[in-house]
Amino acid sequence: MLVLVTAGVFVLLHLTPGDPVDAMMAESADATAKESLRRELGLDRPLAVQYVAWMGRLLRGDLGRSIRNGEPVLENVSRRLRPSLELATLAMTTALVVAFPIAIASAVRHNTGVDRAGTTFALFGLCMPNFLLALLLIFVFGVTLRWLPISGYLDPLEEGWLGLRSLVLPAVTLGLALAAVITRTLRSSLLEALGEDYVRTARAKGLSESVVIRGHVLKNALIPVVTVVGLQLGTLIGGAVITEYVFALPGVGRLVVDAVFARDYPLVQGVILLIALGFIVTNLAVDLLYGWIDPRIRIR
Amino acid sequence: MAGSIPESGFAESALVARDEPDVRDRRWDAVRRAARARLAPFGAAVLIVAIVVAVAAPVLAPYDPVAQDLGNALARPGRAHWLGTDNVGRDVLSRVIWGTRVSLVAGFVSVAIAAVAGGVLGLLAGYAGGRGDGLVMRLMDAVLSFPPLVLALALGAVLGAGLTGVLIALGVVYTPTFARLMRGQVLSVKTRDYVDAARALGASAWWIAARHVLPNAATPIVVQASLSIAFAILAEASLSFLGLGVQPPSASWGSMINAGRGYLQQAPWIVFGPGAALFVTVVGLNFVGDAIRDGLDPRLTR
Repeated sequence: MLVLVTAGVFVLLHLTPGDPVDAMMAESADATAKESLRRELGLDRPLAVQYVAWMGRLLRGDLGRSIRNGEPVLENVSRRLRPSLELATLAMTTALVVAFPIAIASAVRHNTGVDRAGTTFALFGLCMPNFLLALLLIFVFGVTLRWLPISGYLDPLEEGWLGLRSLVLPAVTLGLALAAVITRTLRSSLLEALGEDYVRTARAKGLSESVVIRGHVLKNALIPVVTVVGLQLGTLIGGAVITEYVFALPGVGRLVVDAVFARDYPLVQGVILLIALGFIVTNLAVDLLYGWIDPRIRIR
Repeated sequence: MAGSIPESGFAESALVARDEPDVRDRRWDAVRRAARARLAPFGAAVLIVAIVVAVAAPVLAPYDPVAQDLGNALARPGRAHWLGTDNVGRDVLSRVIWGTRVSLVAGFVSVAIAAVAGGVLGLLAGYAGGRGDGLVMRLMDAVLSFPPLVLALALGAVLGAGLTGVLIALGVVYTPTFARLMRGQVLSVKTRDYVDAARALGASAWWIAARHVLPNAATPIVVQASLSIAFAILAEASLSFLGLGVQPPSASWGSMINAGRGYLQQAPWIVFGPGAALFVTVVGLNFVGDAIRDGLDPRLTR
């Protein structure tokens, strides 16, 4: 699996018509200088040899160096990891805080105005492209109302409140799309759970509606939500790339875009490989989460 | 569907005859269910308008979409320019109209590429079984282990900026979904008695694929395709927004939105004109996709 992923990444990026050496050196640079740089970077050797060399280093934990700034890929990525993780955490928080009340209200007041408002929200959230929502938020809260900064990044762990402010719009942008997906799934699984026998029993026992929802319905309705969040992970990462690009956050997503456009092969290779790895690992974590939520499907 | 396939041989036509009333009933059911979906008419209207606009772009656009008029830059929406002008004085409405073409082509062509490539791969994998199957499906898994947009971004960059690159990139990204669907159908149809019967009658593998497997697989593929088109349009817009795809001065909704980003304060219409077009198109296509799914797949009625 991983061999295929690495080979895929490698072949993909080396079939590109552009030449990184041309991109790095001025048009005027003479052919010998270009040739020596190419040799230095190992780009003059056959593709298969380059791949084997890259894999060999990979197995030793060496992802190579960025052509542009000469620093190890791993260092480039780890420097960018913190803003991305902060963004992801805040976006997830936003999504859960928004989605749960809406989904619960929709399901409990099934087929009423509340429900229709909830499902409309979910639909719009699904169809709204990330970058458009970002610009809409910037337009309303940044440009018109001037409440929040529209780009740039300050670390909330160091700058506190100011840092948090710089992440509000990106987190809402990324979080609302996820909130829409969660709302849709949670609503329908809540509706299903509400029709179960154990809910009727709980109500017949005289439990209040809120206890029924919290103690009996919600937990049973969570599994599909976890599944969908897992499935949406890829979309979420893509969304993070766009969000970081729009708000000029120095995260991993922004690094991908910059590296792609600079044709910085080692960097693109390394970052995409790491993202794919992260993607696979998180999917595994999602699978393990099932067992934690629902002991019935715990793996023995 | 059944009627359109040429019949040959007595046994085959006997099978068709027995199937026919059932199939026809189901088809009418499908239409009725699709019509019952309240939002489908809106979606269909959006889709029709979008197609008309895309086809008739040269006639409908009031101005040349790439003609600059620097004296008239950042003009507000008004009688002369319904959606205003951009930073070099190009008419935003005309560019939105021409951008419709790009978006629809991107949506339909990339999904068509994926459906054909995925369909063929799934068919081969399902039929071949064993090692061939393993190899194809592992390859599909490898593609799926990348976040779609990141993969499309890397592929798009490799293939070079331009619409073709984006079409191929998105086609590759969506191929595994179709391959899996098709393979699943092949595996389930392969074990049916009527396939054994056809084989016993001497039908070739190709005949069985064309006559039995494809018709059975058509429904899930069509449903998946109709739902994928909206996402493909979004993906093309995202890639154009990042700078891949159709190159300036040609217009695509995503690139227009990116170009208007810097003028959000003075001229928000540069962003929100194409933005509204994109949003409405995607919402409409989603309604159509849902209606097709509800119509064709009775198991999914909500």
